[in-house]
This record gives sequence, C-alpha cells and structure tokens, in this order.
Amino acid sequence: MNDLNFSFDLFHLWQVTGGQLILIVSGLILICADMAMLKTDDAVRSKRLGWLTVIIFALTASHMMSREWGIHNTVFMGIFSADKFSIFVSIVMVISGLLAALMSIGYLENNKVMKGEYYVLLVYAVAGAVGLVQSVDLLMMFITLEVMSLAIYALAAFLKDSQPSQEGALKYFLLGSFGSAIFLFGVALIYGVTGSINLTHIAQTISGGLYENPAILLAFVMLMAGLFFKMAMVPFHMWTPDVYEGAPSVVTGFMATAVKAAAFGVFIKLLFVAFSPMLSHSGQPDFSSTVNLAALGAYWKPVIWWMALLTMFFGNLLAVSQQNVKRMLAYSSIAHAGYMALGILAANGDGRMGVLFYLFAYTLMNIGAFGVIYVIDGKERDAQTLDDYRGLGYKYPALGFLMGLFLVAMAGLPPTAGFIAKFYVFSAAIKEGYFLLAALGILTSVIGAYYYLRVIYMMYMKEEIRDVVRGPVAAPTVIALVITALGVLYLGILPERLADIANVAQQSLSMIF
Amino acid sequence: MNAPILTYVTFLPLFGVPFILAMSQKSDSGKNIIRGIALFASLITFIASLRIYFAFDPSIAGFQFIEDHPWINSYGIHYHMGMDGLSFWLVLLTTFLTPLTILSTWRAIDSRVKEFQISMLVLETAMLGTFVALDLFLFYVFWEIMLIPMYLIIGVWGGERRIYAAIKFFLYTAVGSLLMLVCIIGLVYFHHQQTGEMTFNLLSLYGTSIPRFYEIMFFAAFALAFAIKVPMFPLHTWLPDAHVEAPTAGSVILAGILLKMGTYGFFRFAMPLFPAGSAYFTPLIITLSIIGIIYGALVAMVQPDIKKLVAYSSVSHLGYCMLGLYVLTRQGVEGSVLQMINHGISTGALFLLVGVVYERRHTRLIKEYGGIARIMPVYSTIFMIVTLSSIGLPTTNGFIGEFLILLGTFKVNKLAAVLAASGVILGAVYMLWMVQRVFFGEVTNPKNENIPDLNLRELAYLAPLVVLIFWIGLFPNFFLKKMHVSVDHFISQVKVEAAAPSPQVHQAAAIELPGVTVAMAKE
Repeated sequence: MNDLNFSFDLFHLWQVTGGQLILIVSGLILICADMAMLKTDDAVRSKRLGWLTVIIFALTASHMMSREWGIHNTVFMGIFSADKFSIFVSIVMVISGLLAALMSIGYLENNKVMKGEYYVLLVYAVAGAVGLVQSVDLLMMFITLEVMSLAIYALAAFLKDSQPSQEGALKYFLLGSFGSAIFLFGVALIYGVTGSINLTHIAQTISGGLYENPAILLAFVMLMAGLFFKMAMVPFHMWTPDVYEGAPSVVTGFMATAVKAAAFGVFIKLLFVAFSPMLSHSGQPDFSSTVNLAALGAYWKPVIWWMALLTMFFGNLLAVSQQNVKRMLAYSSIAHAGYMALGILAANGDGRMGVLFYLFAYTLMNIGAFGVIYVIDGKERDAQTLDDYRGLGYKYPALGFLMGLFLVAMAGLPPTAGFIAKFYVFSAAIKEGYFLLAALGILTSVIGAYYYLRVIYMMYMKEEIRDVVRGPVAAPTVIALVITALGVLYLGILPERLADIANVAQQSLSMIF
Repeated sequence: MNAPILTYVTFLPLFGVPFILAMSQKSDSGKNIIRGIALFASLITFIASLRIYFAFDPSIAGFQFIEDHPWINSYGIHYHMGMDGLSFWLVLLTTFLTPLTILSTWRAIDSRVKEFQISMLVLETAMLGTFVALDLFLFYVFWEIMLIPMYLIIGVWGGERRIYAAIKFFLYTAVGSLLMLVCIIGLVYFHHQQTGEMTFNLLSLYGTSIPRFYEIMFFAAFALAFAIKVPMFPLHTWLPDAHVEAPTAGSVILAGILLKMGTYGFFRFAMPLFPAGSAYFTPLIITLSIIGIIYGALVAMVQPDIKKLVAYSSVSHLGYCMLGLYVLTRQGVEGSVLQMINHGISTGALFLLVGVVYERRHTRLIKEYGGIARIMPVYSTIFMIVTLSSIGLPTTNGFIGEFLILLGTFKVNKLAAVLAASGVILGAVYMLWMVQRVFFGEVTNPKNENIPDLNLRELAYLAPLVVLIFWIGLFPNFFLKKMHVSVDHFISQVKVEAAAPSPQVHQAAAIELPGVTVAMAKE
C-alpha cells in the first residue's frame, strides 16, 4: 500500500470523491455569488442562494447515486474511500442538507436573517460530514470532523441577537473541541503503537496480537468517546439540549440528522473495519487472525450494552419533563441514538442494515418535525413551549397533521418509517440474544410515546390559551414537508426497497480498503 | 380463491375518508353529509361482509378466504389474511356494530365531526384487520394502528377527565403490546434457528418448539398484552376510566369490539403458539378470571354512575369469556366465543342506551333518575330487555353464553364453576337494582318530567340489537354451528401439544381431530 508510484489521477479522484469536490467547489462559488449580488435586495439574494444550494445538493446526490455507488475504491493512498456504505450514509447527509436548504429559504425570510454565509456554512458542513464518512484514515477523519464541526458551531450561533443561540453554540464549541481533542489523542496513541493511521493497516497490525495491548484499548476508548460525543450518547449528551434549543430550528433539524448520521457512519466504519472486522461474504477471514479481533468484543460489547440502555432510558426520561418542544426533541434525539446503538451492538448484518435504515428514516421524520416547529415559532414570537401548541391541530389542520405524523413516527407506531426502523434494530438485537436489553429498551419507548403523544394532545385536545400565529409558509418548505411526510409513510408501508439497498451498503464494509 | 373479499371488507371503510376530507363541516348540512358518508361507508362494509357470511364454509376447520402476498421478503413478512370459525362472528360483529355506532353519534358528536368520523372509519379498518391477519407482523401493525384513533376518540370527544383516561388507555396498551413485539421477534428467530426459514406466518409458527423457559416468558408477554386488553383483574383499571370518559360511540366500540381483541388474541395467538406456557399459567388465569367475575360484579353494585356500572360489568363478563376459554372444553370455548358476541351486543346496547339519556339530561348518576319508566315507556322496555340479556335470562343471548361456559367449566373444574355461577347471581343483583332505582318508583326529580322518548333514529340503531338478543337466545345453533369445527380444532391444537409436558390434562385429548387442516399436517 505504501506505493511510491502514486500519481495524481484526476479522473480517479473525480470518480471516488466527486461528491466532495462538487460540494467544496460550489461552496466557493456560493461565496462569489453572494458577493456578486451585493447590490441586490437581501431577501432576493438569500432566496437565490438558497435555491442554488438546493441545486448543489441535488447535483451532489445524483453524482453519488449514479457514479460513486457503483465503485469500491480509494484515493490518495487510502485516505478517502468510495464504498457503498460510506456513500449510503453520505447520501443520507446530503438529503438532510437538501431538505434543510429548502426549509432555510423560508426560515431565513421569516426571521429576517438574510446572510449568504448561512448557505456556505451549510454546504461546508455537509462537505465535512461526507469527508468524515468517506475517510479511511484516522487523521483525515479528525480533519473532516473539525471541518464539519466548525461549520455547525457557526450555524448554531447564527441567530446573532439571540442569547440562547449564542450560549448553546459556545457550549457546543467548548465541549465539541474537548471531544475532538480526545479523539485526536486516541489517533496519536494508535499511531504510536501500530505505526499506521489507515483503518485496514491498523486491523492487520493489531490482529497479530496487539489487540489486548492496554494502549490500544485506551486508544479505542478515546476514539469511541470522541464519536459518542457527536452521537450524543449518554453520558456524553450534556450539550445536546442547550444547543438544540438555541440553534435556529432548521439548523437543529439538520444537526440532529446529518451530524448524527456522520458520527454513526464513521463509528460503524471504525468499529467494523479496524476493531472488529466482519468476515467476507464467503465466510473466510479477509486476512489472517481476523478472528482474534472478535475477542475485542468482550471489551466493547458490554460498554455499548450499557450505553445503549442508559441512552434510551435517560433520553426518554428527561424528555418527559421538558416544556420546550425543541428541547424535548433534543432529548428524544438522544433516545434515538440509543435505539441505533442496539443495531451496532448486535454486530450483525441486520443490525448494520437497521442502523442505516434508521438513519434514513430518522432524517426524514426529524427534519420534518423541525420544519413544522420553525413555521410555528419565530424570532419575535418564540412559540416553542407545549402551551403554544394547544389547539393548533384545529387552527392549522395541515401543520397539525404533519406534526402528528412525524411524532407518531418518532414514537415508533405503524404504519410509519419509525416503526419499521425500530423493528429492524430491535430484531437484530434479539437475533443475537439480547432479549433483556430489547425488552428494557422497548419499555423506554413507552415513556417516549408518552411525551410524543403529549404534543398531540396539546394540539388536538386542549383549547388554545395564547394566540399563536404561524409565520408565512414558503413554497420550498411545503415541498420539503410533503417530501418528508410521504417518505415517512412510504417507508412505513413499503420499506423493502430501501432495506435492500441498506443491506448491500453494509455488506461492502466486509471488503478490504 | 376469487375476489380478495377480506381485503375489500377490511379496507372499504377507508374509502369514505377522502370524501369526508373534501367536505366542509362549517354548516349543519355539511356535518350531516359527513355523517352520511361515514354511515354509508360502514354500511357498504357490512353488506360486503355479508358476502363472507354466505361464502363461509363451516365444515372446514382451517382458514378460508386466504390471501397471501409477500410484503417484506427478507424477513419473511407476508400480507396474509384468512378467517376461520372463531374469527367469523367477530368480524361480522365489527361490521355490524360500526354503522349502528355511527348512527348513534348523529347528535351526540357535534364538534369536529369530520375528524371524529375519520377516526371511526380508520378504527374499523384496524379492528377488521386485526381479526383477519394471519401474519404476526401484519397483526401487530393493525393492533397498533388501532390505538391512535381510539386515543383520539377518547381524548378529543370524551368527558371531563378525558386526557387522563386517553393516556392511561394508551400507555397500558402500549406497554403490553411492545413487549409482545419483542417476543414475536424472539419466536420468529427460534423458528428460524430450527427450520432455517424466516417467517412471520402464524400457521408456520404454530408448533415451533421453544425452550421451556422462553416459552413461558413469551406466553407471559403475550398474555400480558392481551390480558390488559381483555381486561383481566388486576389489569383492568384503565377500563372504567376509559369507558366513563369516552363518548358513547367510543364506549360502544371499546366494549363491543376492542375488548374482544384481548380474548381473540388469547385463542388465536397466545394459547396455540405456546401451549406449554399456556398450561403453566392455566391455574393463575382461571383464578384471576373468577376473581374478575366476582370482583367486577361487586364493584359494579356500588357504582353511582350508570356508565361506570356497565364498565365494571364488562370486567365481570369478560371474566366468563376467559374462564370458558381456559377450561378447554368444547362447550366452554364455544360459550366463550358466543359470550364475546353477546357482550358486544348487550353491553354495546347498554352504552347506547346510557348515551340516549345522557344526551337528554347530561348526567349519568343513578340518583338523578327514578321512575322514568312512566315517562319513557319505549326506552324503558328496551332497556329492560337488554338488562335481562346482560343478566343472562333464558331466551336471551346472555343465557346461552353463560350456560355453555358454566357447563364446560363444570366438567373440568367444579369449584370454579360454582364460584363463577355466583357471579350470575351478583350480576342480577347489580343490574336489577340499578334498573329499579332508575326506572321504577315515583318520579323524584322534576327535571325528568319532560324527557322525550326514543326517536326514530335511536330506534333504528337499537332495534337490530334487540332482534339479535332474541335471535341468539332462541336459535343459538344458528351461530354455534359456524364454529363447531374450528373450536374442536383449536382445542386439539392447544391440548394435544400441551399433553406432553403436563399429562394430567390429556383426558380430554380424546376428542378426535376432525379434518385436521393443511396447516396442521404441515407441521
């Protein structure tokens, strides 16, 4: 692999990381376009930039689906890879960015923050996230992690005159930097012991006997902790509520889905390529001593077991006492991370497929829910508490129905995508014999049902006590909401096509990079 | 098989929904059109279900009208529907009660009519789907979908403490059913381990051998889900709240059909899937049924509120159903299924009747009434007939059901039969005492002097129920003959398999297996 005959093949680069290139280049174009339109009216410029961003994301997604999906290769001596798994997660994040961009057009207009930087940051956040998932190199993981995070920190602080937004962003920045530093420490340790930062090399090196070396275990813990922070797993979840509450609603929706998808994607990649390699399709180890690494399961499985349980439990329990809907959904997103962790714990094909399906479904329902929230709340009105949702179901039937649908989906009731997603991860865990965890986990989702339904009863069973007037609903927001709602229902009734794709995607992890 | 009749019947109610959505409910005529559409959709469903009635062949023990299409292939989940003699009457009861219920809401539900009627139609689809689903996944989907419209019906159109009742109803049911989901998946994987076949098909899963510990745990989880729904003592506490707070239509559906889901779940899923687990818990379930019968009756006796009294009487009546099911004799099981139908008719009628006076006087307290037999003679007559049916007077339907259950119980467990029979007496006490206080004597409350008697619409939805009360009471065989074969099949399925671990119950296994079905032969 240390091929010194490395030549810079542009076409190859375009094939493997074309999506990233589109995002990076068009981010620059966005900056230029912003400046070129300085004389134009703010609202018009913001709208144009928004649509431009939508087009960028659409192009990126189509490139990924048509070109990158079909190949399995790496560039730059194994820094970025194009494999079906990474591409699947990348597409989820690009879709999340696309929906967020659609909604942002209306959001920025409603809140009178018409700054071109918003879209640039959004594009770079997605670029960082895509790079993070595509990298097979620990150092590149760290760099892209930071690219993504810095853009998100700035987005979270985007409401300049809102104190919660600033406070949340600062917290996120401080704690996030701390998390990244721990991740970097882990990278350094790994490099010190194995002499490599490439995931496959690491696997080959440590499977030879180093796998129970304390330094490796410590490094493993540090890498996991850095990512758990981004995944918002208990006990690394403390930043979530403040940031989700303070950030602009659309950004919250984006953050909760794209960042989570990126963190889960890279975590699975790290775990199942470097530390617990899967066997290849034929059932043969890809290289000698892979089986040794299965012994590592004795270390990480109990950890994930407890973290999944605690995450599901505390996420759901703490959500119950929240009066602010955004804050409640922040805790619910913690709980969802716990459900997804079940799929990782199962460590089988079904589990990984379930996590991928879950990420996709969660993206649709969460962005949809935050879309409704942004329409109802607003800069001046600040209508985010449960009391503000009283009687909304009759005042705005369509918005109420959509909110109800997304919440029902998050509660995991059929016939929605949320139910199928939960079914997949729970059945994967049960398949591996985690009956107790599955039973306890599913009971926490009863707590979940309680607070999701509370919003529904506020909307449909309580009389209004405060006059909440929704903001104008822009056409792109309507498009985004309709797409998400249809997606949630479609995946709830006919999940098989996406599940098959996700299954193909997770299988690609078994092939060497 | 020709036309997929079960799919038609299940999803026909939904065809009303887009039309209702298109209507405006601002004016009274708009509301009436919405009600009309809902009634029409449910009537069409009833007429379609009559086709099932004529096409049903009672001599087949297995499932009929089978529809089987792959749905989620990688997990072996199918869209699989079918019907046998046990679900036959429950499906017809559902299609029969729903239009009557919708008719009864004409004046009672005046706000948010659109949403209400949509909820009713979605609920009907979910209930029918639950009764005909033969794939555990499909069953679970329908079972869960049922929760949301019922939650809304109680929570939006209910009484004062409606939100409390709705959430209690939802959480109780959700706890049980989610645990059941875990066990469904567990069962499927045990089956997968043994046969290498991944399937949620109920017929294939029958007879899966599971380690004893898991069989008992799985049965417990299934039983918990269904026992909450039945509801069995001591899991019944959501029921009085839900009934009292729900609007009349909600109570009728809840008592008439939703509670039957619990008993249906026992005899379709929990018992045949886990015969050993079922045998293990039989003493406990029989004990709880007896406690439920007597406790329900005693608590009903002291209720000041008519609706709550009827709600507690449901606990008592459903205790009979469970008892009949668990003695596993032909009479017991047939009586149990018949008693489910009876309870749907009598208690449904009682709730409708309570709703009638509630619409006029806006109170359900017994002490507010007295002597209204003189003021509302027609109403009182019908109420009396329904009361007698609920008590189980000969010539009414209640008698047949209770008699068969007691007969079946007596054969197996004399003590249980004697204790259960005392419930019949207590039933007469609380019902007749209530009737006496409400209908007879002097008119003590001047407000009652001018209550109008039943109008034509109310007669229209009560009359069919009264007819059925006598029909079942006088010609029970008309109903029983449809289920003989299926009941025998059910008993053999639960008992023969249970005979291995617990030899003391094999005495009744001598019942021959008439026409063991394809499904059984496959195992």
